[in-house]
Amino acid sequence: MQVGIGYVENLIFILMGIVSLTSIPFVILAVKSRDLLMAVIYSAVQSTLYSLLLFLLLAPDIVLVYVAVSVGLLPLLTILLVKKVGRYEA
Amino acid sequence: MKLRDVLFIALIIFVTFILLIPTLLGSIGATPPGDLRNIAKLYLYLTYNIFNKSFWTASPEAVTAIVWDYRGLDTLYETIVFYTAIIAALMLYSEILGQRDVVGGIGLSFIVKRGFSIALLAIIAVGFSTVLHGMLTPGGGFQGGAIVAVAPVIALIVFSRKLFDYSKLSYRLLVALRSLALTGIVLVPLIPLALTLGNGFIFQNQVKTLARFSYPSTIIDVPMGGSLLLLNLFEGIAVFTAFMLAFIVLLYSEDLSKKPLEGEDIGY
Repeated sequence: MQVGIGYVENLIFILMGIVSLTSIPFVILAVKSRDLLMAVIYSAVQSTLYSLLLFLLLAPDIVLVYVAVSVGLLPLLTILLVKKVGRYEA
Repeated sequence: MKLRDVLFIALIIFVTFILLIPTLLGSIGATPPGDLRNIAKLYLYLTYNIFNKSFWTASPEAVTAIVWDYRGLDTLYETIVFYTAIIAALMLYSEILGQRDVVGGIGLSFIVKRGFSIALLAIIAVGFSTVLHGMLTPGGGFQGGAIVAVAPVIALIVFSRKLFDYSKLSYRLLVALRSLALTGIVLVPLIPLALTLGNGFIFQNQVKTLARFSYPSTIIDVPMGGSLLLLNLFEGIAVFTAFMLAFIVLLYSEDLSKKPLEGEDIGY
């Protein structure tokens, strides 16, 4: 640990660690899932956690656009695609 | 268990540990660092300095100031890239643009419709406040436009296509709005040049030593950021209409959207 880092900074680092570790199971689930609709939802959960991570990294501008695109528009577009190609992977 | 699964689990554990170690050690350096780099100091010193207005932007938000004032041309070209991408996507469906869909649809249930009607207003309000406060708080044209664009896309699914096929917000009106907004983005940087008969700069916002042109820096007593507010507003409208057009075209029923793609399976 670096000398001179206060408790708040340590807390932010710990939160960042927890958030990034929590996102890993959702990435695995999104990759492994045979149900494509569930894969989209897992990916959206992972995006939500990433937007929290970006907020902790002091980038509120990126958070605003990341939330709208990755939780709003991208899942909608992907669900549209899932509707056309079928929900279950063979 | 197959070898593939074992390798997959081993890889996941390996990646987790790789991420775990720097996180527990407080990363490689301190993120965010306690001290600022010189270029950041310079921008923070100049962006909203009421005692030294030689290079100020009249906007307390340094990120928006960099995006639309100091590095305005970069953002202009980004807008052009986005504009071209959407036009190319629309051109693929040029045969059916603006047509009413052959399948009507009834939308989702009454409860969803009423619930979403309330959320719709909230989404639009949040988006527009993000656009209009772009020079005061984090956010701006693209962010606000993307937030507002979520509303019509969900409305397309909740209320079915009929809402847009029979509403006043037609395809022609959307394209016209988008073109007007893009014209605005092009004109705002050129106005200083035209009004001072060549003594200004492109993307000039506030008054400089040699060029006396300046956009208004405040509305009553709120910092306005001069041209930043106008550029954010136009960018917001352009992004919103672009996303909406793209989704209206993508959500056509298969009976209609297959028409422009006919003959693709036998080559061109």
